Amino acid sequence: MTDTENNNDLELQLNRRGFLKGCTMVAAALGISEAMIPKLVEAATTAQRPPVIWLHFQECTGCTESLLRASHPDIGRLILDIISLDYHETVMAAAGHQAEKSLHDTLDKYAGKFLCVIEGAIPTKDKGIYCKIAGRTAVDILAEVAPKAAAIIAIGSCASYGGIQAASPNPTGAKGVQDLVSGTPVINIPGCPPNPISFLGTVLHYLTFNNRLPVTDNLGRPLFAYGRRIHDHCERRAHFDEGRFAEEFGDFGHRNGYCLYKVGCKGPETFSNCPSARFNDVDVWPVSVGHGCVGCTEPNFWDTMTPFYERLPNVKIPGIGGSTDVDSAGKKILGVAAAAVGIHAAIGIGKKVIKGCGCKNEKKES
Amino acid sequence: MIYEKHYVWSILLRLYHWSLVSSIVTLAITGFYINSPWTLTTLEGTGLYPMLTMRNIHGLAGYLFTAAILVRLFLLLCGNRHERILDMLPVTSRNIRNTSTTFYSYSYISDYHDHERLGHNVIAGMIYILTLIVALFQMASGFYLRLPESVFWQKWGVTLFGTQQHARFEHHLLMWYFIIFAFIHIYLVIWNDVKHSDGITSSIFTGNKFRPRGIK
Repeated sequence: MTDTENNNDLELQLNRRGFLKGCTMVAAALGISEAMIPKLVEAATTAQRPPVIWLHFQECTGCTESLLRASHPDIGRLILDIISLDYHETVMAAAGHQAEKSLHDTLDKYAGKFLCVIEGAIPTKDKGIYCKIAGRTAVDILAEVAPKAAAIIAIGSCASYGGIQAASPNPTGAKGVQDLVSGTPVINIPGCPPNPISFLGTVLHYLTFNNRLPVTDNLGRPLFAYGRRIHDHCERRAHFDEGRFAEEFGDFGHRNGYCLYKVGCKGPETFSNCPSARFNDVDVWPVSVGHGCVGCTEPNFWDTMTPFYERLPNVKIPGIGGSTDVDSAGKKILGVAAAAVGIHAAIGIGKKVIKGCGCKNEKKES
Repeated sequence: MIYEKHYVWSILLRLYHWSLVSSIVTLAITGFYINSPWTLTTLEGTGLYPMLTMRNIHGLAGYLFTAAILVRLFLLLCGNRHERILDMLPVTSRNIRNTSTTFYSYSYISDYHDHERLGHNVIAGMIYILTLIVALFQMASGFYLRLPESVFWQKWGVTLFGTQQHARFEHHLLMWYFIIFAFIHIYLVIWNDVKHSDGITSSIFTGNKFRPRGIK
């Protein structure tokens, strides 16, 4: 993916070579035949660029950053080239009333035709007052835009499943788009941030195949990008199978690139194309640089994947509060059972000592 | 007192029992390894595949476990009268009576023993039914974790457990149910064998139980 010729200059115009390269990369990510690349190119060069409304709610703009500042410039430029970004708070030139006008013009003119991209979760508690844009709550804006969109792409884990805002105790009642929208097709591109390739692949799939969204799994994620577990195509997998693990960060195993399973890597529980698509133009992803996966493409990963450096979540102790890991909880319950068994047996023996042999009693009775 | 021999547990039930025992022991040991591998994890160039081997054995034992549970479910409906579900739950007046006498006996309130009943006492029966239900969840989470890309298991897995991480957590928690169950089960078998003369321990090897002659 290295694009050395474009590293040092900021060309606004995407050249043909970069354009074709970008389309080829997307075809590879989508897992479609190279014979389809001309169709992708055709779809991407069509004169009618689909209008896109990009809404920002409770988010950090990291998804936009990852997309637009892709150090591999073709991807970011390709996106801006093939879609007509009519409303995007981070990159649009318009501000204030102009921006609002642009939003409403698109809504009126392209009702039922535009793509809506949503970044960030939607707070629903207290009538949604925790996120307001132009004096209106995120809930209201979504309710106005969503029914008019042809399809909604939820980019990032926040828009997909609520993300960090929705982590327990979820003070703002944050929710993902799919929980609030019905009637309009929603596709999730989770990740913190997601790979721009996955987003671009979804858009190009939509354009190439007559406005059809790619096939998704049961959590609404496109299978071409989220169809396999990270663990099952990780470059450290051989170390896992052969039982070689980093025991702690910085030790012999870690320095030798062993599997990060024992330091809490969530690759075995996480579906994403990170090991094959990778990030930026230096082909890295978290595991390749020595940090375990934290499972950011999975629903509620802040609650379920923590502690990040342990394999399993802790068990909450009912009543007393606090938490402990699964195995020490199990051992404690087993200890209580052993104590109960000991007391039970002791009572039986004690009774026998007082009354004489229990089996004799039984025979007398019968 | 003259005791007579009665054939209670069919060969299929005994096969089920010992398949379940061996699979649970194997699953727990390999499961602990898979969760937290304890072998020397910085050994290179040995050509051994400890994790791969453990996962293969775990999978094999998982299928044995599944087969055993399916056999038990079949016997719940089609086994002999001691093995069927109606003999295990407090649904008949005879079973309801047995529930209370067993409770009094287990809590040392009364020494009365129900000689007429050859199969499970009803408290044990209820716990076994609960264990079968837990086993079904354990199986489902196991298949969900083992076949993550299967459309069928993904659909059921997400519905029943949530994400893979949820399933893995619950799979591990439920393993502790089986460990604690096995511990109490063995204790109560020994307790019953010490207290009564119906040969409960050998019955799972031979299928025979004993009761005084003349009781119908």
